[in-house]
Order: sequence, then C-alpha cells, then structure tokens
Amino acid sequence: MSKDLNMKVNVLPVTTYNFLHVNDGRLEIKDIELKNKAISSKKEVPSGVTLKENVSFDEAGEIFRANKDRILSLKEEMVSPNCETAKRDEAQPIRTGMGADVDALFLENGGTCDVYTVDENAKVTEPIVLRQDLEDGFTGIAGQVIHAKKGSEVTVILAYNSERSASGFLGVSTRLLAEEDATINLVKVQLLGDGYVHFDDIGGACLKGGKINLTALELGGKEVFNGAYVNLSEKESAFYSNLGYLSRDDHSLDMNYVADQRGKKTDASMQFKGVLMGTAKKTLRGTLDFKTGSSGSVGDEQEDALLLSEDVINRTMPVILCQEEDVEGRHGATIGQLGEDILFYMQTRGIDEEEAKRIMIKARLESVARLIPDEEIKQLVIYYVQQIV
Amino acid sequence: MSDNKQIVADIDHSLYDFKDIENEKDFYRMEEGLTEETVLKVSEEKNDPEWMRDFRLECLKLYNEIKMPNWGPSIEGLDMDKISSYVRHKSDMKGKWEDVPEDIKNTFEKLGIPQAERESLAGVGAQYDSELVYHNVKDEVAAQGVIYTDLESALRSEYADMIKSHFMKLVPPTDHKFAALHGAVWSGGSFVYVPKNVKVEIPLQSYFRLNAAGAGQFEHTLIIVDEGADLHFIEGCSAPKYNVANLHAGCVELYVGKNARLRYSTIENWSKNMYNLNTKRALVEENGIMEWVSGSFGSHTSYLYPMTILKGDNSKMEFTGITFAGKGQNLDTGAKVVHQGERTSSVINTKSISKDGGIGTYRSSVTIQSTAKKAKASISCDSLMLDSISRADTIPGMDIRTNDADVGHEAKIGRISDEAIFYLMSRGISEEDAKAMIVSGFANPVSKELPLEYAVEMNNLIKLEMSGNG
Amino acid sequence: MSEQSLLQVKDLSVSIDNELPILNNINLDIKPGETHVLMGPNGAGKSTLGFSLMGNPHYCVTGGQILFDGQDITNLSADKRAKAGMFLSFQNPYEVPGISMGSFIRNAYHAQTGAPVKLLQFQKSLKAAMELLSMDESYADRDLNVGFSGGEKKKAEILQLLMMNPKFAILDETDSGLDVDAVRTVSKGIEEYQKKKDGALLIITHSTKILESLHVDYTHVLVKGSIVHTGGAALVDEINENGFERFIKED
Repeated sequence: MSKDLNMKVNVLPVTTYNFLHVNDGRLEIKDIELKNKAISSKKEVPSGVTLKENVSFDEAGEIFRANKDRILSLKEEMVSPNCETAKRDEAQPIRTGMGADVDALFLENGGTCDVYTVDENAKVTEPIVLRQDLEDGFTGIAGQVIHAKKGSEVTVILAYNSERSASGFLGVSTRLLAEEDATINLVKVQLLGDGYVHFDDIGGACLKGGKINLTALELGGKEVFNGAYVNLSEKESAFYSNLGYLSRDDHSLDMNYVADQRGKKTDASMQFKGVLMGTAKKTLRGTLDFKTGSSGSVGDEQEDALLLSEDVINRTMPVILCQEEDVEGRHGATIGQLGEDILFYMQTRGIDEEEAKRIMIKARLESVARLIPDEEIKQLVIYYVQQIV
Repeated sequence: MSDNKQIVADIDHSLYDFKDIENEKDFYRMEEGLTEETVLKVSEEKNDPEWMRDFRLECLKLYNEIKMPNWGPSIEGLDMDKISSYVRHKSDMKGKWEDVPEDIKNTFEKLGIPQAERESLAGVGAQYDSELVYHNVKDEVAAQGVIYTDLESALRSEYADMIKSHFMKLVPPTDHKFAALHGAVWSGGSFVYVPKNVKVEIPLQSYFRLNAAGAGQFEHTLIIVDEGADLHFIEGCSAPKYNVANLHAGCVELYVGKNARLRYSTIENWSKNMYNLNTKRALVEENGIMEWVSGSFGSHTSYLYPMTILKGDNSKMEFTGITFAGKGQNLDTGAKVVHQGERTSSVINTKSISKDGGIGTYRSSVTIQSTAKKAKASISCDSLMLDSISRADTIPGMDIRTNDADVGHEAKIGRISDEAIFYLMSRGISEEDAKAMIVSGFANPVSKELPLEYAVEMNNLIKLEMSGNG
Repeated sequence: MSEQSLLQVKDLSVSIDNELPILNNINLDIKPGETHVLMGPNGAGKSTLGFSLMGNPHYCVTGGQILFDGQDITNLSADKRAKAGMFLSFQNPYEVPGISMGSFIRNAYHAQTGAPVKLLQFQKSLKAAMELLSMDESYADRDLNVGFSGGEKKKAEILQLLMMNPKFAILDETDSGLDVDAVRTVSKGIEEYQKKKDGALLIITHSTKILESLHVDYTHVLVKGSIVHTGGAALVDEINENGFERFIKED
C-alpha cells in the first residue's frame, strides 16, 4: 500500500524570523511504498559486542527511557529561551536532530532497529563496518541503537552506496548511549545516487565521562536531511563532530545539529566543511545549548562553506543558547568563494583556476575522509570525490 | 562645565522614574481598546487628509487579520484592550519653550532636554505621550533648507506629496501585526528633510516621553536625506514605571540618498513595564552610508531589529549596538540587512549583557541577494553573562545567494574572568567597581560612537544596572 | 618581632582550590626599604607566593598568617591590600579592552587614595614616568595591555608601580621575556621606586639579569613550596654560577 510522507523535521531549537525559512525542514514524498522495512545483511560482530536484530523501534528505545532521569537531569530551575520548540519532541525516548516525525514514521511502518550492546570495559578496536550497496528503486527505513556500557569503546561505520544514476528512498535512525567513560565512534558515509531521497537521524546521550565522536560525509543523494541531537548529560562528557558535505546540481541538503550541554565541564565541537555547486540548496542549523549547571563547559561551532556557483542558496543558522555564567561558547563562519590569495598562490605554481577549485574541493572533503578508520571505505569516498570533480 | 553635564553625571534612577501627577482635566485620553471607532477618533483628532483616514482603517483590518509572531519573547502580558492608543495634553504644539505647559516643561527640564538643545543640538523635538509638545530648529540650520517638524503639520504643508509617497512604504502595514497597529493609530513623531548636498554639522534630537499609565505611544519618524547630504539624528526615550503594561509601537523610516550619509543614534531607557515593539528601517541608495548606534537598557520586553536595505551599488551600513538585560527584562534585539546592490558592505557589531535573571537575545539576519556581487558582510556578536540565573542567547541567520560574496561571522559567549577581577582588585579597586569597569570596557565600542553626553549617560546606566538599582 | 617590620609572613601554607598543597610553612620578615629576592626552579611555587600575598581567591590559605603594617591581612580582599599599600606586578598582566591605560591608572589611583585626582598634575607625572620607562606617549590612550608586546606589558606594570607608589611591591618575573634594553629600562624604573619612596620589594625571579643594578638585602630560595635557604646578596651570584642543584639536594 502506498502512502504520502509529509514530515516536519530538523526543527530549530528556538524559532526565528519566518522569512529566513530555517525554522524547520519539510520532507515530502508522494506515493511511496516502504516495502523493504529494514536492510537485511549478514552482520558479524567482534567479541565484546552483542547484536540483537530486528528489535521493534519502540522496544529499542527502552534503554533511553530507563535512563531518562540521568539524561535529562537539570541542576536548577531552567528559564526557557524565547519560543523554544523542545515540546514537540518530548515524547521521543531520546531526542534526535530530526525529531518526533521520524519516530512516528518508524512506529507507523513497523521499522525496526538492530541493537548493538558493548560489554563493560570492552575496548573493541576493530570497527564494525555496515556497508549497504543499494539498488535503484530501493525504498526503506533502517535503524540501530548503539549502547556502550561503562568504560567501553566501539567504532561503527555506516556506509550507504549505490549507482550514481540510482533513485530511491533511504531513511536511517541511529540512537546512541555512551555510559560512564564509554566512547562511541560513529562514522557515516553516504554516496547514494542522484535520484535518492535520504534522511539520517541521530540522537545520543553521554553519561559521566562518556564521549561520542561523529564523522559524517554527505556526498550523494538528491534530497538529503541530516540531524543530530546529543545530550551531554553528565560531567566531562563530550561530543565531537566532523561533517563534510558536497551538494551539487539541483540537490538539497538540510541539517540540524544540537549539543545539549547539561553536565559540568562538557565539551562540544562541531565542524562543518562543505562545497556547494550548481543550483544546490543547503541549510545548516547548529546549536550549542548551555543549560543551567553546565559550568566549566566549552562549545565551539565552525562552518567553512565554499560556494562554487552563482546560483547556490546557502542558509546558515548558528545558535548559541546559554543560561550558565561559567562557560565559553563560540561560533564562526566563513562563507564564500575561493579566496584570491590562494588562487594566486596556486597560479604562481602553474595551476589554473579550474584545477585549483578541484584541489580545494578534494582537500576539504578528504580532510574529513581521513578520519575514517577503514581503508576500503575511505578509498570509496576518495574515489567518489575524484569522479565528481 | 555646563549644567547639563552636571545633571547627566549625577544621574540616578529617579531621574527617569519620577511621575508627574497629571492633572486629569488637562489631558484628553482616548478610551482603552481598539475599534474602528477609536481609529476614526484618532483620525479626527489629527485632522487627517482623507487618504490617511482610509489608510488607518485599512491598517486596522490588517491588524485584526495578521497573527502574533511565532518567534521571539512572549507578549502575553500585553492586553490591547487595556491600552489607550491616544493621550494628549489639551494644548497645541509649541515652537517656544516658554509656552510649553508647566507640568510637561518640568518633566523635560528634569531630563535635561532644553539645556542639551542650547548647547549641542541643531534642533529638538519633544514628544509627550501621543503628541509632540515642542519643536524647534536653530535658525542657521533652518536657513540651510533643513526641515524638521512634526509629521502632522508636514502633512498639510508643501511636503504633503513627499510624505504620501514615502509614508509606510518602507515598512508596509503588512509587514507584521504591530506595523499594522502603528498604521492604524500612529500619532506624533517627526519629519526631517535634508536637501541635496546639505551637511548638518550638529545633531538633531527627538526625545520621547511616555508619561501616562496604560498608554501606547505610536510615533512615526520619517527622515529623507537627499543626495550628498549628511545628518546625525539622535533619539532618546524614557518613561516612569507603572504596574500596568505600556506599549511603544513606533515606526522609523529612513531614506538615504545617493552619496548621502545618515547616522541614527538611540539610547532607549523605557521603564520596565514597557513593551517596546518598534520597527526601524532604512533604504540606502548608491554610495550612501547608513550608521546605526543603538543602546537598549529599558523596557520589559523588546523586539528591536533595525533593518537596512542596501539597494544602491557601493552602499554601506554599520550597526553598533549594546543591550543590557537586567531583572525582569526580556530584550530581543539585533539587526537585519539585505544586500541588493553590487559591492555593498555591512558591518554588525553587538554587545549584550545579561544579569539578575534578565533574558538577552541577539537576533539577526543577513541576506545577500544574487544581484549583490562582491558584497561583504561581517558580523560579530559578544555576550557577557554576569550570573547563572540569566540568559544570553544568540540567534543569527544568514541567507546567501551568490558565491561572489564574502561573509564572516563570529559569536562569543562568556563571563568576566576571575583573573581580570583579581588584577583590577590588586590595584585597589573594589570587586563591584572592577566588574563595572570591565562591563564598561566591554560596552566601550558602542559608547565611543555616541556624543559625549550620551556616552556619559550610558556609562551611568551601566553603573546603575551593575549596582543592582537599575 | 621587631616593630618596624612591614610585611610578616608566619607559617603560611597555601593550597589550590583546597586540594593540592603548594606552599608549606613560609616565613618572611620584610622591613621598610629592604629588597628581598625570591629565587627557585620552575614550579617551586614562587608565583603562588606572590598571588597569595596579594590575596588571589584562587589560592586558599590553609595555615599561618600575613601581617602588613602590623595589621592581619590574611583574609582581606585584594583591593583592601592594595589600599593598605601593597602592589603586585603581574607576570602576565590582564588585557582590559575598552579602558585606556591612562584612565585606568587614574581610576586606580583615585580608588587607593580616595582623594580627587588633580588632572593636570596627574598627567604631568604620568608623562614623566612614561618618559623614564621609554614608553611612547600614545600608550596612555591605548586600551590597557591590549595588543601590548611582552615588554610593553611589563613596562606598563612598572609604570603603575611608580604612579601608585606603594609601601611594598612584589615583582613577579618582571624580567622574563625581555631583551637586554628592556631589562635595563625596567630596572631603572625599579631603582626610581626604591629612591623615591624608600619602598620595600620582593623580587620573584629565576634569572639574575634584573638584579645587576639593584641593591639586594636578602635572597630566599624556594624549592617545592618551602624556603630552603636564606642568604645575602652574594647568594644571587652563587646561584647564577651553580644553579639550584645544591638546594635541591639539600632537600
């Protein structure tokens, strides 16, 4: 049975002027049949990790509900910022970047999750690589929960790949819980075809000393939505995110990243590096939210957007919310074309403008690709970028 | 040194907070609430031309249709049915200070307005509640052909057509609910016209005082600076504190001609029961320069984002602002700019301070349209948190539609470091003074843009806020 | 104790944030006009002693007391100590954006004396002191320490010393990071202070360059938070030649 998708996603944590069109993103698809509810593939897990496959979306969220008091703990009475939008995502077991409509989609369509549980103090050095080569016409949703118990460490690589000419729909939900002193390294690589609609929704929480490292490359797809909401709930927890993107032709990319800093001495760093070409349209929302009690915390958000065509639309919405005196938050953005200085420097070395652009695109994306701890996937990314430029 | 300086230096809160017990029979006050009848009454009071009366009714319709904003601070405490849209003294506007009614004169004397005029201003307008009570321009400035008068008389003068073609064209009543409200009940305000190539050497000033409780002030300021001309306009606002909500929904429309320059400075110190929903907008032609200097200290709730449209090639704008949100205040301020012309440039520099549970929000938008080749925009906003019961939020937006633009943005949130306080204390300065000194230093980029008397006033306001008596 | 003592430190112990102990049972007795030198290897706690004497709230006094001019100042805040006549020249002076150096010094002078500042006279003496320190006049109008080079920052500290004229000054690594000429200029400023006020000094240093032209009465060696040795001016030369090794062994 086919249906229409009409989702309001990536809602900005506080609303602002409507004319900027950044308050939320719309994911609308007519007449879609979600036949492949989950991606089936053989998954082998290294020792120290337990995998439970095809758990219902609701049941997979139980681990977050069980820890809700710790995840959402607030020291004192909070004063809300003007027109905050938290309420609409309140029912989620763990708040995600794209928000409640993704949960609803999974629940209504029987979407399931694979639950990876990492044993206490298990340092899993070998990355878990979940590579999906999708066909033309694939329409499905897939989810996973990664639960790293006390003192453990795990690396998960999600790679989505298809033919360049392929079309389809892929929706992904990833929910993360890093317990005391646990580290989750999540790597996401998206090289889908030029006709794909894709969303990737991430929600995470870090308990005392817990850490989430996120590396993401959004390089393909026609219409891409990407959101991450990470709760730094307890002392000395951290969220480090590196995102590289490439949007070209008439593609669009809509992002919403939030670091919710509640614990003392938490650390958030969100770096966005990207390239826009053709008539591509990009919206980036990035929020550092220093809640009361987050004393000693720091947050940094940097965007570097290279605009390579006259017809791109680049929207940036960098938000810092703060109700704590003893914090340091900063945001910086540089947006524009290739600088004249660097162009001149390259020309003196005999490199023409077109080649200089190619070099700069590669440099930007490869600086993020370098963080991928799996050689095969890394080469896949580098090859993809080569093909495009 | 002048008496004026003395008054400003010795400022204390009572200077703004005194209430003149109005002799009720001397004042005409419109009944509260907003209906077609009240709008027609205002129109009649003002002896509007027909087009203006029709315009007011059109605006009222829009006001009833347009929804409240779905962003920004709550304005639930504002009940339009309890706001009187029109209060005036039963005497006419005066051109001589001696003729201004005694009670109103006393108010402005206490605020130091007449002295300021004698010493450092080219002209002064003073609005009390809904009407201008005094307007005067120095002879030598008038001789240059500069027009500075109240908008109502201008509507019946040779400038009538000029006003009709500019009034609420930059801020159309469809813009937002309170722009529509303004269009329906606007009253008072100033009209300034600076002819081609005339440079007004010293500033013009308007002072707004809202003295009546539960009233609204809806003044309209229309300034046209013609080609090659130059003007500095200063606006000051204050009101005594009442327990009921007051509303200020003024509108400022500024037209900056080719090669012209306008500097618009505001020190806003409305009382802390004021809802300040003010709309300010400037249109800048080729090579024109618009400079905003804005200090927001008062009000219960503010929505204030002066907007600049850089229409002409090479036009420029600079915005320098400071907001101090203290106890019970929710001040949502910032700036908006639209780049249309080639090689246009904008610089936004803001400082915001939050203390004693105050909510300070910096909100902005920078739009670079595809026609704005080689445009440059630079935004820098710093927030200072003085305790952990206050809020400092930064919500800037950028929409860039050409690659041939250079946009830089920087935002920082932090506090006064313990090391800084210790350093100053080791020089014999008390902790409280050390903090005030650091905050004044933080605010310095704004105060140095102001004329001396205003800079002194601003520093005094900071001291007042820092000592907790604000 | 002799009654003309200016600063007496009795069994002072200090820790950071109530956790790590840094100084143990420090004793010092400084009389008006005396110059004491505090030397010691890196990390010995020299700067901590300077900060503690001046009352930096970051350091907690866990035992002992500090007397200045006969008054117990152990629990006084830094501004009160300054008013009592103490001064600390910072190793890393803080940058204060928005306040010019000239107006800052005027403010501080006023805060300490409480008397109105006679503007012309003040400006004259500021100019004279800046000349002595070879500081360009324009620095008076620049924001305090903002964008100053390392050398200019140190000069600005000594300038404040000369303008405040305290009874007792602690100079924390005033010579570090300075070239030969700058050290000479700064020393000239310190000599001027000694001459003018008969001021007492505690000079914290780990080199000896700055001491060459100054008269020194006592030298203390601080190792791992304790004063392990006290001697006369000759000790400076000895350390200059042999380093701290002998004292570390003793420890």
